[in-house]
Amino acid sequence: TPATASSFTKPKVLTAGSTLKFIPEELAVFCRDFRLLRFHFHENGLAPQAFRVANAIAQAREAAAWLGDAGEGHDGWSCPAEAPLEDEDEEEEEGSAATLLFESLRDWEKELKRLGAVGWRVSAVNERFDMAPSGNRRRPRGRSWRGAAARRLCWHHPGGGDLLRAAGFHAASEPGSEDVRRCSVLLQGSTRREEPGGYVSGGPVTHWGHPLNASSPLPEPSDRDLNCLLASLVQLLGDPHTRTLPGFQSLVQREWVAAGHPFPHRLGLLRRDSPREEVRTPPVPPLPRLRPRWVTGTRVLPPQAPVFLLFLDCTWQLVRQFPAAFGFTEAYLLALHDSSFAPYFSTFLFSCQRQQGRGSPHRPCSQTYTPVNGWQDAQPAVPRAGRTGSPACRLPTVWDWGLRYSRHQRARFRNPAGAAGTVGPPDTADPQIPSRPTDAWPGPGAGNVFVLTKGTLSPQPFPWRSSRPPPRLSRWAPSLESLGERGDSPGGNRSPAPTPGLLLPCAAGPSVRLWRRCYLRGLPEAQRGRFAPSPASLAEELTLLQDRLSAWQPAGPCTEAAGSPLAPSR
Amino acid sequence: EIHIKEPIEKEVYPRLLPGELLLCEASTVYKYIQEDGSNRGTYGKLVCTNFKIAFLDDNSASDDNEPQFENKIVGENDITLQCVDQIYGVYDEKKKLLTGQLRKYPEKLIIYCKDLRVFHFCLRYTKEEEVKRIVSGIVHHSQTPKLLKRLFLFSYASAAPNNTDGRNQTVMFETLEDWRGELERTKGNAKYKAVTTNEGYRVSEKLPLYFVVPICVSEESILKYEGRGIPIWCWSCHNGAALLKMSAFPKEQDDSSSQMQKAFLDGIYKTISKPPYELLKTDDLSSSLPSLQDIQTAYTKFKQLFLIDNSTDFWATDVKWFSLLESTNWLEIIRRVLKKAIEVVECLERQHTNVLLIEESATDLCCVISSLVQVMMDSYSRTKSGFQSLIQKEWVIGGHGFLDRCNHLHRSDKEEAPVFLLLLNCVWQLVQQYPPAFEFTETYLTVLSDSLYVPIFSTFFFNSQHQKDANMSGESLNTQSSPFRFLTVWDWSVQFDPKAQAFLNNPLYADKPKPDKSHRKTARFKHQRQLSLPLTQTKSSTKRGFFREETDHLIKNILGKRIGKFINSSDEPPNSFREFYDSWHSKPVDYHGLLLPCIDGPEIKVWAQRYLRWIPEAQLHGGGTIATATNILDLMEEVQSLQVKMDEEHSQAISGDLHSVPVLRNSARLSSLFPFALLQRQSIKPALPTSTWKDLEDEDDLVNRDDEFVDLSGDIL
Repeated sequence: TPATASSFTKPKVLTAGSTLKFIPEELAVFCRDFRLLRFHFHENGLAPQAFRVANAIAQAREAAAWLGDAGEGHDGWSCPAEAPLEDEDEEEEEGSAATLLFESLRDWEKELKRLGAVGWRVSAVNERFDMAPSGNRRRPRGRSWRGAAARRLCWHHPGGGDLLRAAGFHAASEPGSEDVRRCSVLLQGSTRREEPGGYVSGGPVTHWGHPLNASSPLPEPSDRDLNCLLASLVQLLGDPHTRTLPGFQSLVQREWVAAGHPFPHRLGLLRRDSPREEVRTPPVPPLPRLRPRWVTGTRVLPPQAPVFLLFLDCTWQLVRQFPAAFGFTEAYLLALHDSSFAPYFSTFLFSCQRQQGRGSPHRPCSQTYTPVNGWQDAQPAVPRAGRTGSPACRLPTVWDWGLRYSRHQRARFRNPAGAAGTVGPPDTADPQIPSRPTDAWPGPGAGNVFVLTKGTLSPQPFPWRSSRPPPRLSRWAPSLESLGERGDSPGGNRSPAPTPGLLLPCAAGPSVRLWRRCYLRGLPEAQRGRFAPSPASLAEELTLLQDRLSAWQPAGPCTEAAGSPLAPSR
Repeated sequence: EIHIKEPIEKEVYPRLLPGELLLCEASTVYKYIQEDGSNRGTYGKLVCTNFKIAFLDDNSASDDNEPQFENKIVGENDITLQCVDQIYGVYDEKKKLLTGQLRKYPEKLIIYCKDLRVFHFCLRYTKEEEVKRIVSGIVHHSQTPKLLKRLFLFSYASAAPNNTDGRNQTVMFETLEDWRGELERTKGNAKYKAVTTNEGYRVSEKLPLYFVVPICVSEESILKYEGRGIPIWCWSCHNGAALLKMSAFPKEQDDSSSQMQKAFLDGIYKTISKPPYELLKTDDLSSSLPSLQDIQTAYTKFKQLFLIDNSTDFWATDVKWFSLLESTNWLEIIRRVLKKAIEVVECLERQHTNVLLIEESATDLCCVISSLVQVMMDSYSRTKSGFQSLIQKEWVIGGHGFLDRCNHLHRSDKEEAPVFLLLLNCVWQLVQQYPPAFEFTETYLTVLSDSLYVPIFSTFFFNSQHQKDANMSGESLNTQSSPFRFLTVWDWSVQFDPKAQAFLNNPLYADKPKPDKSHRKTARFKHQRQLSLPLTQTKSSTKRGFFREETDHLIKNILGKRIGKFINSSDEPPNSFREFYDSWHSKPVDYHGLLLPCIDGPEIKVWAQRYLRWIPEAQLHGGGTIATATNILDLMEEVQSLQVKMDEEHSQAISGDLHSVPVLRNSARLSSLFPFALLQRQSIKPALPTSTWKDLEDEDDLVNRDDEFVDLSGDIL
């Protein structure tokens, strides 16, 4: 949140290091969530205060390493918790309670069961974080090598394919060097010849990732950045459950928080390094308000990069393309984005689960957390400390939406049309769906394994298979080409529905849009319609009407409408 | 290598309209379904008539999956001669534009259409004689200059006289009564009058038979300069301010005559700025808007983005999509036109001044601006019949040169300019920004733009009312006693059956509520809520909160260079405009009141339905706005059925008007560009450039990769 003081139309960037040599007339605050706040100091005697306030803000910002949202309450979306614990009754059930945090063995097992993934087990080998400090404690594994390179299950396709993730083998190699192998997202297409969804779900994702690979020099030796992005996007496309609100929250929890995405570094919350740092800019998305720059003086910090924002933007593109497929709305994504800068949620505060467990961040940066502790001391009654399960951490998770957003605002998070997704993927409802492999662990040789490296999927010759030649590609690529022909096959329907629940987004230029309400936060026109009556309230009204009607005619046959997908589940 | 299907044995015959003549044909023509390198396609017969180019195959019979939205006149494989944009021949893999005389005949024919379809025909298996005949026939009939009387319009009208005397709701403005009715509707009759001076086209052939001028303008002055320099009324605003247009005098060399013209104009201005008339503002559109040439250049570049040969092409351009789009300047032109219209609205609405639009002939950009102003200010123009009447008033009778601007006769390329398309594009921006305010859908606009090239309707095939009248009675008197009776495009039943016509009507149109009855109902539904918008402007925005105001202020000043730039790229509009625009946008929208479009950069979008509908790569299955619409319709249906149940509870009356909503079931299978994409063979290929996959083909590389992996099969678990 860089502050700019201007005097006689000369703007100056304020930092703690730079001394203010004039009395500012105005103070402009550029917020990370793209808001701009400008404060004008009247001339009648406010000048000294102006000087002090401006300096104090700059100092405090420096000291705090983050200031959170400097101007809360601007437009109602980011107003602070009016009264924590105000209303956490049963209506929360859609929100945080249904969200799996993946901090306990139970959560992982639940997820495995939901996916019907046979042949995977939850490993507790990292219980004490000695295998991989950055890893999460428990995660389903097939086989494992050591530490970073272990493959972990992300998602099990109903057709039998698995999405795995793993860090590169040479985790210690120089970042950015060419030979860093990003052996990241593995697509085990064991059944993909029968099941188009098995690889199609991976297909579009590479394209989503494509511009990213082109533009971002981020190495992926640690499986904690782009893997998070790609793994979650694949699941959004393939698994209807992740498109519900609790499902999405579980997804973020599993693929980002538990997977150890270094939020504090990537979001740029930790900025306490060299005092020589001159220009501080918020993590900047495509829209050029300020140039993206994460120049950090002399010391090399883990680079700041808006990976999570990129994910939110991708998700927004999907929500825009398939408005009826998602149980949450744009308002929800915006709230999540805004909340990622709020300093009082455990979700985005730690780089990995281990840190969170200790309740203290990374050593070099531990200083920066003192203000947060101070905040805790000031308000000792932090709600729901026990929820997270780790005794040291007493911060609420971001999923406690009631802390920051009113009931009215939260109503806008839900998309009643997308609530159909709550039913879950077909395999949840009916786990014995035909294509499910019956034998327990088909072994790695059963299907092809594809590795996504540098934006391309390629068959993976794993060591234990080195005796065999890698699978012939000719079998694979042409089938992609011929896929279109299936639609025309005689007798076949003209618009064959692919795997139920699979989304095929269009990544072509005309379909990719600017997320206006996020990036143009300061532009009033861009916010038009944001406060329109939400569809959720319309659907609510409908149920109300239905209730009244049934009250009027108790014997009437009007109950069939209640089962409509639009009626919010109560 | 082409995999050859059995050439069709049985003879297929083209379905001909009355008056349509088969000119030439060729059999065993191979039409590629989609040129993606797979060479899939069908054999059939290519025919050329005096109306269309058509490809006939026998597949249509076996097609049990009837499309929901079908044009009765122009089928899926029909191209009207006027719809042909360009024809290319392929000689040894090289594309060459075909015009006029040919010496060599191509092995492949690519036809680019004005409605952005692209057809590929392979002639390699066709007899040489037939190739010669069909290629030269197609090129001759679609690309060479033509006489007006040779348009299919005339043969159709004489073979199938229009007997449908259905009184359309559209006001045609062909009679004095129509003009008087319009004056009455807008309450302009106190200050303006409809004149008959031009009966027999005494004044000018460019002016309509009847038109409206200020009462104080005398008949002599109208006659003096053939109607030039005369303010012609377009529309009166609710507060009495009027929108006028005037064709300017051409630049005169002669000093004395230009002096006289100036004196004449001064006199006119003087009389119409005196009370009871409001103050007058003039706006010379030729200097404040892009020229027709610019518009044509921009559109030519823009449409190239969508005339895609194959998917490889598509992905090749996709990489640079945004910069290509930017470089066409088409969206910027749309924005400037919309902005100009808002400026005019501001003068009329807030400053209570009359606005006089000046253009050389007052039939091009004048039509665009005046139509847009009326669409924004007059909710009647947002109904279907109102919009059609508006087009009729400003464009058809107003004398827009459709024949020249669309280059229907291939007389002169210089005259060509997509002015009417520009209007439709601008209206589309409004439709997609405020869908509930319009009785028609974007599909309606798309279909209307397609109808520009269907020469069975007289609407878009004359330059002026005079030209139409002259050709209607003229020669036909020799052969028959009765004049031609042309069809009008507004009779949508000619092109679409009732089921398809349902797609033209917006089911979510927020109809004007009846104030007396059903007060209870409307108050409850928020989407239909009437929010009163004070049309008279408040002085300043005192009610706005501190932050809001400050942020606005900041954007304007400090960020002027950053954000400001992309709001107003060209000239900074006058402050009053900005204030008007901002204050309107800070209030809730009244769908029956004034409607101002958002004109900041990201709001101006590509009309996807029209431009992308034939490109399978750009479609979403089960997504897009159609998915939202389906859900809202479901919701509406449920509300309606509840309403019925409630009504039944109270009185036993049954309301029958329930299922007016077109059924859009199975939204999961609809394309985002519905209803058009259904006509296309769909492929469910993932939207991916194929080049990504080609990288994988180097197998040696993969084998070598083995070595890089350490054998770690010793499981540590």
